[in-house]
Amino acid sequence: MVNDPTLNLLVGKASDILDNTLEKNVREPIRFLVNWGRLYSLWPVHLETACCSIEFGAASGPRHDVERFGMLEAFGSLRQCDVLVVQGTVTRKMAPRMKWVYEQMPEPKWVIAMGACAISGGLYMDSYNVLQGVDKIVPVDVYIPGCPPRPETLIQGIIELQNKIRKSKV
Amino acid sequence: MQNAAMNIEDKGGDQLVLHVGPQHPGSGHFRIIVTVDGDYIVGAKPDPGYVHRGAEKMAEYRDYIQNIPHLERPVIIDATGVTLPYVLTAEKIIDVEAPDRAQYIRMIMAELNRIISHLYWLGIYGIFLGHSTMFMWPMGDRELFIDLAESIGGTRVTFSYVVPGGVRNDMPTNFKERALKTFDYFEKRIEEYKKIFFNNPLMSARTEGIGTMDKKDAIRLGITGSNLRACGIDSDTRKDETYCLYDRVDFEIPTRKEGDSYARCIVRLEELQQSMNIMKQVFDLIEPGPIKQVIGGVMRGEPGEAFVRTEAARGTMFYHIVSDGEKNPYRVKISVPSFRNLIGMTHLLVGSRLADMPAIYWSLDYWPVEADR
Ligand code: SF4
Repeated sequence: MVNDPTLNLLVGKASDILDNTLEKNVREPIRFLVNWGRLYSLWPVHLETACCSIEFGAASGPRHDVERFGMLEAFGSLRQCDVLVVQGTVTRKMAPRMKWVYEQMPEPKWVIAMGACAISGGLYMDSYNVLQGVDKIVPVDVYIPGCPPRPETLIQGIIELQNKIRKSKV
Repeated sequence: MQNAAMNIEDKGGDQLVLHVGPQHPGSGHFRIIVTVDGDYIVGAKPDPGYVHRGAEKMAEYRDYIQNIPHLERPVIIDATGVTLPYVLTAEKIIDVEAPDRAQYIRMIMAELNRIISHLYWLGIYGIFLGHSTMFMWPMGDRELFIDLAESIGGTRVTFSYVVPGGVRNDMPTNFKERALKTFDYFEKRIEEYKKIFFNNPLMSARTEGIGTMDKKDAIRLGITGSNLRACGIDSDTRKDETYCLYDRVDFEIPTRKEGDSYARCIVRLEELQQSMNIMKQVFDLIEPGPIKQVIGGVMRGEPGEAFVRTEAARGTMFYHIVSDGEKNPYRVKISVPSFRNLIGMTHLLVGSRLADMPAIYWSLDYWPVEADR
């Protein structure tokens, strides 16, 4: 009776159907809700690494105003933050500090590499003291090119990050 | 100062050691290690170098034109202020001279950049004192000046506009009208800034008599720029060792006697007006003509050395270039005002309260990227 292949097939089908129903009616809405909550309340860490911080500051100014898109102004306490925006060049002295900052942030967390320097060393590709790309020490989700990126480009990068969060698993 | 203490060390007795920065809303890209006894700071040890990118060394293996973009990066808020002395020094080495029109446009760009830089400073100072409106207003008005500079230089902050022999391109034809309109608007705004911020009793309570620098100390420590002028010394490189065509325009050097944080703020505020006055005079003086002396082939310096001092937004910017006749400079030495202001900061912090630290720190307009180079 137990080894009846027809029954096995039936049980398998039933669990599939159950799984599908669960997926559609329970997990999917939960995932949607959680991601929706996360994606419009991004808290960036206040870690300035180089000159791109000026355009980051200008982006929170009144003309560009990133808050409209659900990213708050830079904030001091790491325990409340979920986005690390690497604002430009990371030097050898800054690199370990940046890694500590990243490790102290609670999950889930995302990293934006802002500026040519953070992506690949940029203008400082042959400097003796510059890390050639921050993705060597922290996982990067979005790269924003430019030197420095205009605030509009930064905003586009933030929207890209939100698209990524929207699709992510919970 | 929220979470001022990233790192606390008990020194025994009543003293504690606090590490402020580099991840701190008020520190920017540097760290300062302060020893506090109760609420008072008894020792301050700065730890700069978080943005040291070796600009001086890199300048040795790039030619005179390639050097401009990366020497601009230390102070991209004041991009022309930092490239102009380099270009003037390089011009001495290469032995070219820019035509008059180019000199005037350089002055316009330098003054625009001074305003952009001072407004950025003012916005951040507002945040430091917990005055959010004073962040929003200057940041919004700064965009108008960025628009003006962008219409000449082609990009928001990093123009690389000044080149040996002149400037890259001419200014747009309707620039004067646009600029005068912006100045009219901004002159009214300065009055409003005074109403909401500078004459605000809360602001003066947090800055008046805080971080007072003595005239003698200021000279001894090598402080330059607005910080020196706030101690009652009317030193301005634009007048003392005139460059470009600053000798043809007439402007005042705002000074204050007190030497405290408030005096430094007021001096910078008055400099905004002076910069606009300079530009207005330049608009009347400027005449059509060539904007560049074309240099054929690769630029090569004559063997020898040259130095130039100019007045950037933060103080005296000094370049010393040694050339051995090759297409790359042999040595480029940059002496930046921020580094000297850092010495001043250490001097001012000792003896003041920990809560006054942001007010003193940012009143000196210390820009760590510039100090580290
Ligand atoms: S990308 Fe450009 S602006 Fe940004 S940190 Fe690097 S050099 Fe500075």
